Amino acid sequence: MKQSFDAIVVGAGPAGSSAALTMARAGLKVALLERGDFPGEKNMFGGVLHRLTALEEAFPDFWNQAPLERHIVKKSLTFMTGESSFNVNFDTEASDRPPYNGYTIYRPRFDRWLAEEAVKAGATLLTRSTVDDVVIEKGKVVGVTMLRDGAELRAPVVIAADGVLSFTAKKAGLRRPKFDPSHQAVGVKAMVDLPKEVIDDRFGLVRDQGASNEIVGCTEGVRGGGYLYTNYDSLSIGLVLHLSSLSQSGKTPYDLLNAFMKQPQMAKMLRGGRLLEYSAHLVPEGGYEMMPEIVGDGILVAGDAAAMCIVTGLNLEGINLATQSGVLAGKAAVEAHAKKDFSRAGLAVYRRMLEESYVLKDLKLYRRTPGMLHNDRIYSQYPEMVCGLMDEIYRIDGAPKDTMTKVLLRAAREKVGLKNLLADVYSGWRAL
Amino acid sequence: MNINPDEIFDTTSFNVDREPHIVLDTEICKKCDQRACVNACPARCYTWSEEDGKMTFVHDGCLECGTCYVVCARDAFTRWRYPRGGFGVSYRMT
Ligand SMILES: Cc1cc2nc3c(=O)[nH]c(=O)nc-3n(C[C@H](O)[C@H](O)[C@H](O)COP(=O)(O)OP(=O)(O)OC[C@H]3O[C@@H](n4cnc5c(N)ncnc54)[C@H](O)[C@@H]3O)c2cc1C
Ligand code: SF4
Ligand code: SF4
Repeated sequence: MKQSFDAIVVGAGPAGSSAALTMARAGLKVALLERGDFPGEKNMFGGVLHRLTALEEAFPDFWNQAPLERHIVKKSLTFMTGESSFNVNFDTEASDRPPYNGYTIYRPRFDRWLAEEAVKAGATLLTRSTVDDVVIEKGKVVGVTMLRDGAELRAPVVIAADGVLSFTAKKAGLRRPKFDPSHQAVGVKAMVDLPKEVIDDRFGLVRDQGASNEIVGCTEGVRGGGYLYTNYDSLSIGLVLHLSSLSQSGKTPYDLLNAFMKQPQMAKMLRGGRLLEYSAHLVPEGGYEMMPEIVGDGILVAGDAAAMCIVTGLNLEGINLATQSGVLAGKAAVEAHAKKDFSRAGLAVYRRMLEESYVLKDLKLYRRTPGMLHNDRIYSQYPEMVCGLMDEIYRIDGAPKDTMTKVLLRAAREKVGLKNLLADVYSGWRAL
Repeated sequence: MNINPDEIFDTTSFNVDREPHIVLDTEICKKCDQRACVNACPARCYTWSEEDGKMTFVHDGCLECGTCYVVCARDAFTRWRYPRGGFGVSYRMT
């Protein structure tokens, strides 16, 4: 069986569906291929959808249409040790009104909704379709083949939006055949069932307000961090662990997650909850440094497939970049159709549009951050320093107190070393 | 609350394909000096037995995360791909 389209999109995640939506609205005949039973079935993430300016253009009242859980009004960063935690909170009314600055979502619901919008615009969604290979003729990608029955689909342009491992980009020769483990992290997550009222009480929320919490120091020295997000009536709790560090540590992701959930301050938040689902997925956190080629003859690469992810420790941005790059890839394909030029040069407008958007600007801006985050001190010494410092400041035990400066310097010297502290502040400053 | 990967079917749904999507050349594993797959796999699909000097891989509870694909320094896979359409892990609310 051979079928022809104007464009083929591999993967109905946020990047792929945004691309399909853009092209279908412009009148192209689009095939959107997804290996899952439905879009989103295979997709997990931490849980916070940042503001999607690309989709707000496509859906002017995005927040009324998309299946969202809570909007984030409270963001916090926590430094944690086995028994204590130090929390920095940012709470703002500005995030409590539209256009909201971020939401929690469930991927199986959100991704399905977005793909259905692409279908409403005219795209053909083919689920249970795992793409096996790209079809190359005269050096140009002209289609894809499917795993199950070897069916072949043809189109002058293919958009690889098949996520972090992107076998499509690999088969088209656009990404390196082997990944560097220090460019990838694995995220694990537990979904915990809790009544809405209990979540509201525990986190100090009303209506659909939500909270997000990033945690450093909860990974037993493995590079990475934790997160705790509020959904409408469940919590998402998990860890992101750098693969090179995890491998060397000999520790397992589930043991680390179990220990994290038992940490006393975390256990209090989860008390009474029931485990609903356990999941895992990779994060291409090497960012700009690990980007593949994103334009080839007859092919474009978008979203995680192009390593468009920004991990700073304060935020993990992926879906906003995925949807933005998906929309731009779609626009580039529409332009290529107008000019009937699907060569690398004809499609290069995609790269130019990305350079002008926040996608490549931000990826370049944060290009040093992954390197900075490969500093082991961040994951145990600093949390211990901060918590130790707070303990000394607050503890009243009859002994006379030192000046703040003395306490600070002592904690820094004991836990981190002053030279290290200065070096880290400097590299952190440059990276962020 | 505790996550036990040996009881992964209690908390995560699968439509297991009889045809494995990951196939391992366990001879390569015998000579491996790191075995990062064993500890890094979030679903404990890899088990190394020191006594028998043997690697066992089970694809049933695989979360399709890709960790083993990236951490294996010896490229021990004769096949590493996603399951055929419709098979494998099925998340409902993550
Ligand atoms: C633990 C964790 C926490 C995260 N936290 C956040 C966060 O809080 N906020 C945020 O914005 N981002 C976060 N991210 C990143 C975010 O999830 C990704 O950046 C985003 O999902 C990328 O979208 P995408 O469409 O490019 O790829 P994906 O969402 O991975 O979609 C790819 C799609 O392609 C399909 N597919 C793959 N191969 C094939 C094939 N061969 N044939 C057919 N279909 C195929 C897949 O089934 C999938 O539906 C997190 C990621 C992880 C793992
Ligand atoms: S890391 Fe690779 S070679 Fe080593 S034991 Fe695991 S699968 Fe086998
Ligand atoms: S893909 Fe992930 S869950 Fe599956 S075997 Fe590899 S590491 Fe384990």
